[in-house]
Amino acid sequence: MATDTLVSISLGKEKQAAMDRFLAKGFPTNKWEEWKYASLKSLNDIDWNWNSSEIPANTIKTSIDASLHVQTLNGKFIALGTLPTGVEILEFSVFAQQNPAFIAQWEKRNQILDQNSMYDLNDALTTSHQVIWVKAGVTLDKPIVHQLLAEVSIASAIQSKLLIYIEKDARITWVDDLHTNASSEAILSNYVQEIWVEESAHLTFVKTQDFALKTTHIDHTFIYQQSNSQVDMFTFSINGGFVRNNLHFYVDGENVLSNLNGLYVPGNNEFIDSHSVVDHRKPNCESNELYKGVLLGNSTGVFNGKIFVRPDAQKTNAFQSCKNVLASDKATMNTKPQLEIWADDVKCSHGTTTGQLSDEALFYMRSRGISQDAAKTLLMLAFVQQVIDKVEIADLKESISNRVVAKMEQALSA
Amino acid sequence: MLSIKNLHARIGEKEILRGINLEIKAGEVHAIMGPNGSGKSTLASVLAGREDYEVTDGSVDFLGKDLLELAPEERAAEGVFLAFQYPVEIPGVSTTNFMKSAVNEIRKYRGEEPLDAVQFLKMFKEKMAYVNIDQSLLSRSLNEGFSGGEKKRNEIFQMAVLDPKLAILDETDSGLDIDALRIVAEGVNKLKSPTNATIVVTHYQRLLDYIVPDFVHVLYKGRIVKSGTKELALELEEKGYDWIISALVD
Repeated sequence: MATDTLVSISLGKEKQAAMDRFLAKGFPTNKWEEWKYASLKSLNDIDWNWNSSEIPANTIKTSIDASLHVQTLNGKFIALGTLPTGVEILEFSVFAQQNPAFIAQWEKRNQILDQNSMYDLNDALTTSHQVIWVKAGVTLDKPIVHQLLAEVSIASAIQSKLLIYIEKDARITWVDDLHTNASSEAILSNYVQEIWVEESAHLTFVKTQDFALKTTHIDHTFIYQQSNSQVDMFTFSINGGFVRNNLHFYVDGENVLSNLNGLYVPGNNEFIDSHSVVDHRKPNCESNELYKGVLLGNSTGVFNGKIFVRPDAQKTNAFQSCKNVLASDKATMNTKPQLEIWADDVKCSHGTTTGQLSDEALFYMRSRGISQDAAKTLLMLAFVQQVIDKVEIADLKESISNRVVAKMEQALSA
Repeated sequence: MLSIKNLHARIGEKEILRGINLEIKAGEVHAIMGPNGSGKSTLASVLAGREDYEVTDGSVDFLGKDLLELAPEERAAEGVFLAFQYPVEIPGVSTTNFMKSAVNEIRKYRGEEPLDAVQFLKMFKEKMAYVNIDQSLLSRSLNEGFSGGEKKRNEIFQMAVLDPKLAILDETDSGLDIDALRIVAEGVNKLKSPTNATIVVTHYQRLLDYIVPDFVHVLYKGRIVKSGTKELALELEEKGYDWIISALVD
């Protein structure tokens, strides 16, 4: 078993404890309810290199105009250029020493980690845990662009971990641009990102995922929101052999607004699983979840959206919608909304649909001279446009739109 | 321009067109009338290439080409236009984007350079005047939430943009009040030229007060059972279809 080689790795006390938790559970299998469609059992058959080699900086560039450009290259974090005023980047241990009051809160953050052995594996093996610290009242006009890249010559498991700490009244956009380079070797990209959004802070978070077919990417994006804060989250899953997104919102203050937007366009032999949790723990908050998927080729998609409304969370408004188009007879979509409501004075709704492109619409378009493939692309793009249009940064929106269209065209011409 | 010979078509097991013969020359307006279920809309759909129908016999020649061999988009590029009885709502695609795609795909088919944004702007402005349509309507999702009149005006706007050689108007009068009917008909009349032809499919004579046909054909049970000039439409309005049907030996 691949995990046998983990036993011999020498670790400090805390990391060993995390490793023991992982080893007790192993890789998730489809016997676990949360991983019903997404077994990682086959990872056991690969002889993983647990220490990935370094890749040089400037291997990838961004076309987005940024206030700060940072990268994680095979798990190693680097900042390019100078930091904007009011932003610091520190190793977690250093940051912890400087912020004992925060750390006291942090340690009580209480994530939902049942059936999530991959978080433990990350905890045990990650060698870099950087904190991007945005100071109170700081507003950045341009986004911070973070690019994650994995590139390997032997089968490698890569752990990446970040904490983003956004203080009171700060306002930033975080662009999370994730890639793996195509290679004949397998990559396990295990990524943990935790974001603490203080009172009255505003975060816009745009994640794009563009992975090779032989990549397994496990994403943990855990967001902790304090009173009067707002987070506009976007997850664009464009390519990836196996992508599992665990997006958690922990609403720990009042008058919080959480917007979760998602779009996935898996193609041939790709699997994209969007698991989300919105945990309403305090009253007077609102969450809006809008996911759209176009499933191409013989792809498989999963949407599992959990909303908890805890007993204290009166006057919660929580809405969830997941709409899908199967663009091929061979594509599969599994949807599961899960609402657990313990408060009585709340408004919650959910709805999922999975359909096909309308023949009537296709004929209408073709009768105007638009070819069948172009008509399909136009309809599919129109279906997902609503999510893309919510991205406010023009060049980022265009880049996402172009990548989505290219994916659709590629699937139709295959 | 269009020569239909012995056209038979069915949907599933049901034969709907049972030997249509029709000759249309450039510059002519033909009205196809007939009671419900006679095959009027089927004829329009078969000419535009709707795949729900299977042509079992006969031929359709359009400007020297075998129309039935062409995909719907190829027919459009060759110059056939169908104004839909029920224009389809397409959320997320504006009329302008839809028409830009259509025009440039057709230009590609014809080996012409694509139009740029400035050229489109100029062309759209010119064509909007034909049906008195507003820019704000063209920026909205195609047909989504449009009134009946807006949908039909939008159809005629699309027709103006694509400038077809053969326009087929399928029950364009349905769901229109008299003002909308007049605007739509005026648009069609302005687009009429000695080099194009129009087929008006309609149940009622009303539309033909505005779009005056050169020929009127009565379709019954999948065949043209009577042809005449515009006076035939008036006679149908007065006496209904029964007098024609009862004179038939089936």
